[in-house]
Amino acid sequence: MTTEGPGEAPLTFEEALRRLDEVVARLEGGEVGLEEAVALFEQGQGYLAACRERLAAAQRRIEELTAEGLPPAPGEPPAGESEPPF
Amino acid sequence: MKVVGGRRVFSVEEVTARLATLFEGLRSFWVEAEVQDLRPSRSQVRFTLRGGHVIDASMNGVVYERLPHKPADGGLVQAYGRMEFWRARGLVSMRVERLELVGEGLLRAQVEELRARLAAEGLLDAARKRRPPLLPRRIGLVTSADGAARADVLTNVWARLPEADVVAVDVPVQGDDAPRLIARALRYLDALPEVDVIVVARGGGSLEDLMAFNGEPVCRAVAASATPVVSAVGHERDVTLCDLVADVRVSTPTAAAAAVVPSREALETHLTDSAQALGRGLLRARAGAEEALRGRSGALARALRGRGELAGDRVERLAPRLAPALRRAAAAAAGRADRAQAMLGLLSPSRTVARGYAIVREAGGGAVVADAAGVEPGRELELELRDGRVRATATGRLS
Repeated sequence: MTTEGPGEAPLTFEEALRRLDEVVARLEGGEVGLEEAVALFEQGQGYLAACRERLAAAQRRIEELTAEGLPPAPGEPPAGESEPPF
Repeated sequence: MKVVGGRRVFSVEEVTARLATLFEGLRSFWVEAEVQDLRPSRSQVRFTLRGGHVIDASMNGVVYERLPHKPADGGLVQAYGRMEFWRARGLVSMRVERLELVGEGLLRAQVEELRARLAAEGLLDAARKRRPPLLPRRIGLVTSADGAARADVLTNVWARLPEADVVAVDVPVQGDDAPRLIARALRYLDALPEVDVIVVARGGGSLEDLMAFNGEPVCRAVAASATPVVSAVGHERDVTLCDLVADVRVSTPTAAAAAVVPSREALETHLTDSAQALGRGLLRARAGAEEALRGRSGALARALRGRGELAGDRVERLAPRLAPALRRAAAAAAGRADRAQAMLGLLSPSRTVARGYAIVREAGGGAVVADAAGVEPGRELELELRDGRVRATATGRLS
């Protein structure tokens, strides 16, 4: 049950969910042999696990910054020099 | 002038000529007024300048055509020129040489000018708009720490997804520093690797209040962001250029939340439904396969019997061996399906915990600890059990 081959980037939640939906659609579409059904089922379980893993990894958090404290972007006019909006 | 019966009588020409001398040498001046009753024409544009009173005015048509921002009827302007007297009709009007918009009219004209420029560069094209990811790893929020918008967006985001991870950058949302600092915040958040979507938020306000979001620095920063940007600036009726450049435009904090995070509840329902659908699909395939196998086993026996007229003794010998082989194949396939099916239940974390397993996290409700290899003795852990959580300390590794 692997969702990520070696060297492949981990699936995003969205990608895992999309593939899960595809697998479900194929499995529900019928006309699937037992071998394929088992393979689809196992793939689906992999994607389900990936989705649940991503959800479980999410954590409520807030980081608070002020723009004044951030490094100025290149080409940004120096502070104090009021920049015309246009 | 003539004297008739002791009365001095002037001709009209004499009166207008005398009046004309009063207007000679008048200086040019600036006047602020509303433009009304604009009558554009190629040679001479006429209009009235209205305050509490009204002055007729005119401007050279060519000069008027070259104005960078032309006034709309009712727009506030500052006009420069001098008063003229028209002898033939005895009328006074202002000869306007310069005409500039002020106040909202000027702001609207500037917004329109920038909008046209951004549109010409294709920065407002629908094709440029990207959909934010369904489940962002982190959410960037650019807004004022003092504004109601901030609390409204956060409350709604967490209501949908209690686990949402937010990086909030406090910026002034109006005033001279606003454009520069909002643009800086956008660039900073765009460069953070885990920030998958950025929300720019501000409550409603006058056109002047919202000008930072109608200016080039903010619009350029939004357009340059590789991370999708959701613009939640102003109310429904205040459309800013930032809204137009952004990937998604919303006008309420609830809509902003819906645009950046999925509903946890809806996701769980979808995943549970998908798990059940997978199970059903597998069971159906298994039933189909068993059916097919039974059918084939019968057909095979019939076929062998048919040929058995030639070699009846071989069928007699084969049949007893064939039936068990078919049964074994069917059982193996069914067994595989059963094992896969059993995993359904195992994969739901809550069901796993309910069966007596525990979820191990880093202390403080941190990341899930899946591997023993990463757990050094002394590591603080948290065990999630069926009815609550327990603090634990790793004392050593067993294998």
